[in-house]
Amino acid sequence: MGDMDVMEFSSVKFRHKVPAPKWFNPFKKQHGAGIAELDLTLQSGQIVGLVGTNGAGKTTLLRMMSGVLPIESGNVSANGKVLSSQELRRRVGFMPEHVRWSGHETVEQTLVEFALLRGCSKDSALEIINVIGLKNRASSALDSLSQGMRQRLSLGIALLGTPDVLVLDEPFNGMDPVAIEAFKRLLQSLARKGIAVVVSSHHLFELDQLIDTLALLHRGQLVAHGTTVSIQEKLGFKQLTEVCLDSELPKKLVQGLEILEHSSTDNTHHMILQNAPLNLLKDIVKSGIGVITWREIQPSLIELLCAATGLDRQSIGMDVENSAWLPMRTLQEEEE
Amino acid sequence: MTPSSRMWKLIMGVFRRRFLSTRMLIMLPILFLFIPGMAWGFSDPNIQLPADQVPETAAETMFLASIGIVFAGTMAAVLLAHDGISKDRQSGVLELRLSQPMPRWRQSMILVIGNWASIAVPVTVLMLISMWLVGYRSDMWISAGDSIVFVVAAWLVLLWYTVFALLASSLAKEQGSAIAFSIGLWFLFTLLWVLFTTLIAALNGVAVGESKDASYSVFEGRLDLLSPNGVYHHLLETRLEDVNRGVSSTGVVMAALAWTVFPLLWFTRRIKRLVP
Repeated sequence: MGDMDVMEFSSVKFRHKVPAPKWFNPFKKQHGAGIAELDLTLQSGQIVGLVGTNGAGKTTLLRMMSGVLPIESGNVSANGKVLSSQELRRRVGFMPEHVRWSGHETVEQTLVEFALLRGCSKDSALEIINVIGLKNRASSALDSLSQGMRQRLSLGIALLGTPDVLVLDEPFNGMDPVAIEAFKRLLQSLARKGIAVVVSSHHLFELDQLIDTLALLHRGQLVAHGTTVSIQEKLGFKQLTEVCLDSELPKKLVQGLEILEHSSTDNTHHMILQNAPLNLLKDIVKSGIGVITWREIQPSLIELLCAATGLDRQSIGMDVENSAWLPMRTLQEEEE
Repeated sequence: MTPSSRMWKLIMGVFRRRFLSTRMLIMLPILFLFIPGMAWGFSDPNIQLPADQVPETAAETMFLASIGIVFAGTMAAVLLAHDGISKDRQSGVLELRLSQPMPRWRQSMILVIGNWASIAVPVTVLMLISMWLVGYRSDMWISAGDSIVFVVAAWLVLLWYTVFALLASSLAKEQGSAIAFSIGLWFLFTLLWVLFTTLIAALNGVAVGESKDASYSVFEGRLDLLSPNGVYHHLLETRLEDVNRGVSSTGVVMAALAWTVFPLLWFTRRIKRLVP
């Protein structure tokens, strides 16, 4: 699995309509932030992490992917065939960010209702209850569910009808660490079965461990997309290695090394190396020096986002408020 | 399972949820007081009505008792359906519903029929009780034809208010606005319409206040076509003798059709374009 395209988004665009009242037209609206002509290909078994600051357009993009928001221009295709919005909704399972399940209906009744909306059988709804681990709460009222259980129920609805693509908006919200682990394992097993998973989350640590492909979104535009390694290379990130040894490196090995950081105690010598040569570890071992740690340092998702957008951490943080107000770069049309 | 049978099951789900809701439990005694209660009162052989009106047939008594449907039935329809969409929008469930492959027009019909049925069923039962009460008390039994027209007219007026409430619910971003919009519309058509009619009639030089004045009656009858309650009463009047308010039966049926089709089309269009 992993190299068969399941869905392709070509130049898809959507812009929110925001109120712009005028004295003679208090209901006037104008185009606001949104997604600007975005291209994205999803492959079977791929887990794509969608990362961006608040207001970058993650939720808008996920809603477009799941057919909740209309695609104003561009198209979505699968196996070379352009999909209608209804066909798109049939192929995509969506788990929104906030679903506050409430009422006297039971978990089972809710799943059966959505199975009917999705066009699948009651039996498939009952199977899903087992998959999401709510078998013991099948007859519990929605009011009695914890936040984590509600998240599972939303996931269960997204899984109904075995979708080709699973779109998850902030799925880890409200989950305890044990549930997050179980959730991640479930997503990985679904990916192994060939489902493409697109997940956005502010839990960057959890996301980092889960995804194999990264999509960096900024102001409604995809600023980088690919495996973490390929994005690092594209953005010019150097390979960093953390090394901890039990004694100092001999001078002949130090020559030619790019040492970014160095600190020593009585028993340990700690270094951060940039572009460490491939045979360095072998040479250190040969020279009889004890290696306590040898670890490649991956840039964090925030660092990647900063590099891709050209902004520093602080600006990225400040940019949250501004992004909704600024016109998008590639639209090249005059804002009203 | 065919799409239609899936739709039917979902309609039953909405109906069950609404019919068994707490607010229905609160409204049922009110509906009971207003619908069979009115019929009980108006079928009293010694009743003294303004303008020396005396109901002479069962249809006339049911016509007078229809005020219970105008006040309590339509209000209950609005209260039941006002959060049909806004509640789901606030909880995030709407987003999930809109992401499902069932065509949006089917989803809109599920909402309309489910909400409408939840008020239409109790009102129909209470109307049948009312008809029996009128017959029992005054010994004037309503004909099958009249009872069908009275029940169908009640179904239509309840449907119109249900669609208004759902439209308001789809337009409003939160439940407070949805209920304000729905109740405002109910208030306009149920309580303020008389004022509106009188004002327009006076501006047109019609003799307002003279209830026997034919021109006022005709003017009021025509203006009533612009109000759901007015069309409801026009429908009922097609079964009464000696009533002429300047609108033919065909005109009334066309108005009823317009009040049914256009709001439904508007609502379906709203749901098709709805964003969470």
